[in-house]
Amino acid sequence: MSLVKDLTNGIYRENPIFRLALGMCPFLAVTTSVENALGMGAAVIFVLISSNFLVSLFRNLIPSKVRIPCYIVIIATFVTLVDMVMHAYLPELHRSLGIFIPLIVVNCIILGRAEGFASRRPVLNSIADAIGMGTGFTLAMVILASFREILGSGTWLNMNILGTAYQNQPLLIAILAPGAFILLAFILGFFNILEKRRGGSQ
Amino acid sequence: MAEMFKLGLVLMLVALIAAVALGVVNSRTAPVIAIQKELEKQSAMNQVAGSLSPGDSLAFDSLAISGLENPYASSDNTLSVVKVSVPPDTSRVGYVYIAYGKGYSSTVQTIVAVSPDGVISGTTILFQQETPGLGANVVNPVKLIEKFTGLTATECILTKDGGGIDAMTGCTITSRAVTNSVRTGLDAMNDAGLFSSGNGEQVDIEDTGDPVDHNSEGGVE
Repeated sequence: MSLVKDLTNGIYRENPIFRLALGMCPFLAVTTSVENALGMGAAVIFVLISSNFLVSLFRNLIPSKVRIPCYIVIIATFVTLVDMVMHAYLPELHRSLGIFIPLIVVNCIILGRAEGFASRRPVLNSIADAIGMGTGFTLAMVILASFREILGSGTWLNMNILGTAYQNQPLLIAILAPGAFILLAFILGFFNILEKRRGGSQ
Repeated sequence: MAEMFKLGLVLMLVALIAAVALGVVNSRTAPVIAIQKELEKQSAMNQVAGSLSPGDSLAFDSLAISGLENPYASSDNTLSVVKVSVPPDTSRVGYVYIAYGKGYSSTVQTIVAVSPDGVISGTTILFQQETPGLGANVVNPVKLIEKFTGLTATECILTKDGGGIDAMTGCTITSRAVTNSVRTGLDAMNDAGLFSSGNGEQVDIEDTGDPVDHNSEGGVE
């Protein structure tokens, strides 16, 4: 029961973007196309599961006073190892996901979940939390990336949506950084209204 | 006092394990990665050189020309330009070179094929680590590098800098790095007398004689 709760927690109730507002930097940078959002999402889910697993495994061995530097070393080492192994043995995958790896190291969702969850929960719950949080992050990215790609390029997952005429004169701001902030604000506002309605009816 | 030592010891152990793991994996993967990069470079060169003489199997000879080495490399890069010919004929059908441009967050490497009279016939991006979603779009030929085809050194300049090539929106730094590095390469080859000025005269300069694959170490991150 609690495993299921840990799993679904990150998808809506504590969605890392819409509720916790964690990991905004890569979120805003990468959501220019749905393809990028999915690639980054896959990479984040993988790293999050692994780092939550490791941190949870060693949680009783690491003294609480030095836990943060230990987590940072564990996560950075792990991400670098994955990068090197992927580059050597899975060059195709590395070509499409490799660019996201330096961005994952600075993603505070990873450290946030290590500190806020995995450091005090059993391994299985930590993995469930990682899957939920990673999925929530990916969903949030796909939502924003859909708006940005459709408005900014007239395409969705590289498929022509709004026609060639629109693509010659797209709403370029949606692809650029200010567009990311503006659209994110609308989406956050929408979720806040939803939350308020729900709260009001109860 | 005792606790401080304990904490220090834990930190040291964590760092030690991390360092050993990284060292071991790096020493295992580094040679494999080097081979992968070399293969990638070879296939990219073949692909770009194909635009010079479509359908033919090509021979490559590297030439050493100053001004075309990677300016951002720590060790000097002996491969600078490759003469392309269609065997058994040894006369050139064109040249291929790698342009190194300092972009926003990486040195963008562009492979350029150029005809004997100095006209670009094809380009591809060999390496880049620019911002995903923005500068990284440079790998998509339509965004920028496709526009280079058919241009000479004097035309290879961004609209913002007084030329006729539109930069990628929001990525002026990346676009400028690529465009300027390609032009710098063309200029260096022109200075070295590689391009014929229409009379078909063949210019021979020190041919290092080595096939490319023995001599093309030094791809740089």
